[in-house]
Amino acid sequence: MTSRRQLLKSAVLGGGAGVVAATALGSLGPEAAFGAAAPDVEPGAPDPDFAEGRIRSIKDNTLLVLGSNMVFHNIRVVDGTSLWKLGPTTFDQAKPGDGLYARGVRMPDGVLAAESVWLNIVNIKGHVSNITSEKIHLDHKGQEVLCHRVAGKSIAVYSDAPPSADLSLLRVGQHVQILGAWRPDTNEVDIATVFSPH
Amino acid sequence: MYGIAALQPYVIGLFLLWAALMKLLDRRMRAQAGQTALGRLVGSARAVLALRLVGVLELAVAITLLLPPALPVEGAAAAVLSTGFLVYLTYAHLAAPTSSCGCLGAHSRPVNWRGFARAGLLLAMSLVAVRARLYPVDPWLVVLGLAEAVALLGLSAELDRHWLMPLRRLLVRLRKPLAAPSPQEIPLEVTMRLLYRSPAYCSASAQLTSDVQDVWDEDGLRFVVYAAGGRTAVFAVPLPGGDPSAVRVALTDEPALI
Repeated sequence: MTSRRQLLKSAVLGGGAGVVAATALGSLGPEAAFGAAAPDVEPGAPDPDFAEGRIRSIKDNTLLVLGSNMVFHNIRVVDGTSLWKLGPTTFDQAKPGDGLYARGVRMPDGVLAAESVWLNIVNIKGHVSNITSEKIHLDHKGQEVLCHRVAGKSIAVYSDAPPSADLSLLRVGQHVQILGAWRPDTNEVDIATVFSPH
Repeated sequence: MYGIAALQPYVIGLFLLWAALMKLLDRRMRAQAGQTALGRLVGSARAVLALRLVGVLELAVAITLLLPPALPVEGAAAAVLSTGFLVYLTYAHLAAPTSSCGCLGAHSRPVNWRGFARAGLLLAMSLVAVRARLYPVDPWLVVLGLAEAVALLGLSAELDRHWLMPLRRLLVRLRKPLAAPSPQEIPLEVTMRLLYRSPAYCSASAQLTSDVQDVWDEDGLRFVVYAAGGRTAVFAVPLPGGDPSAVRVALTDEPALI
């Protein structure tokens, strides 16, 4: 891992640039730009390269996931798969019961070879009904959602200001949007980002 | 006991008077009537009419309760009305669990235990009021009456923004439950927000096929690695942050980890 990191580091510091050089993206001709294969998914049909659901069991590197539409998915996680659970994480953090969204490539045998897996990710809007120690009580359409601040991870974005780790400017009664990681089978969420309109 | 009974018509009467006037006069409540559980019960087209009818009913009961003489039938009427509230709340809770009850003011919160407690308290007070007789004023009764009124108002979610929210704001200001953490490691999300706004990320984002694969800090830079098709995209983001144009990117043929 260290040598790979050194290699990548020297690549970006040696040959890196402020933007990707156009030639690195392949041909610049219009036929390349417009000829890119359109996704061959019928409008309204499920995208075969996407899966969502909750993990039923984990065997070796394969997740057996039951979708909310009661369809089972086999999702294979490989070394190059990115996993997210309140931040980039490792495969051993995936637990039965976790909800997930996965994107990848559907293999001929029906297994989804995942490129990205997001575990328990939620995006909720609501009003701050109370703030207690390290917690925001969110009123989401009359349901209370308990949102925990996680030290070193949770950040707040106030309007257009740069993001900060300081959540203390949030006020009881205001509207917020919270990106975070659900704690399975509870009404609790660990906060990744709080968006505040002011 | 007679004193307590004699007190109830006034507390119930004033409370119902307020509820009736809100229903008959509050424009916002009329505008939102269709979205309440009442709208679900009678159809949103007739919701305003139903709201007015309930308001008139409440007003009639309130006036008979407040004006002498005190008759047992007045308490019974209030008890019937309160039972009706309880039945309606049960209906709202079961049939329209996301709608507000439209009881005392416009708000969007669904029926919860406080609504039931308020209607239950009204029912209990109405039953006591059946035994109301003429009784001299007693300071203790005034205190009890005030306590009952406070309980009824405290159970009214419609009034929370006038007392509960300012109280919680005050407590938050005093206790600082989310005080700024001592400056330590910069959270990854702060770096990610800077990265997303950088020209480097915008120029490469169409190539990215995964989320973050690897992150590490070195030499005041945070390195963020993505898969980009069969290749690897690596970004170098200055750690103190600030200027998105300082982010650097390289697409390498170093194969992705797959």
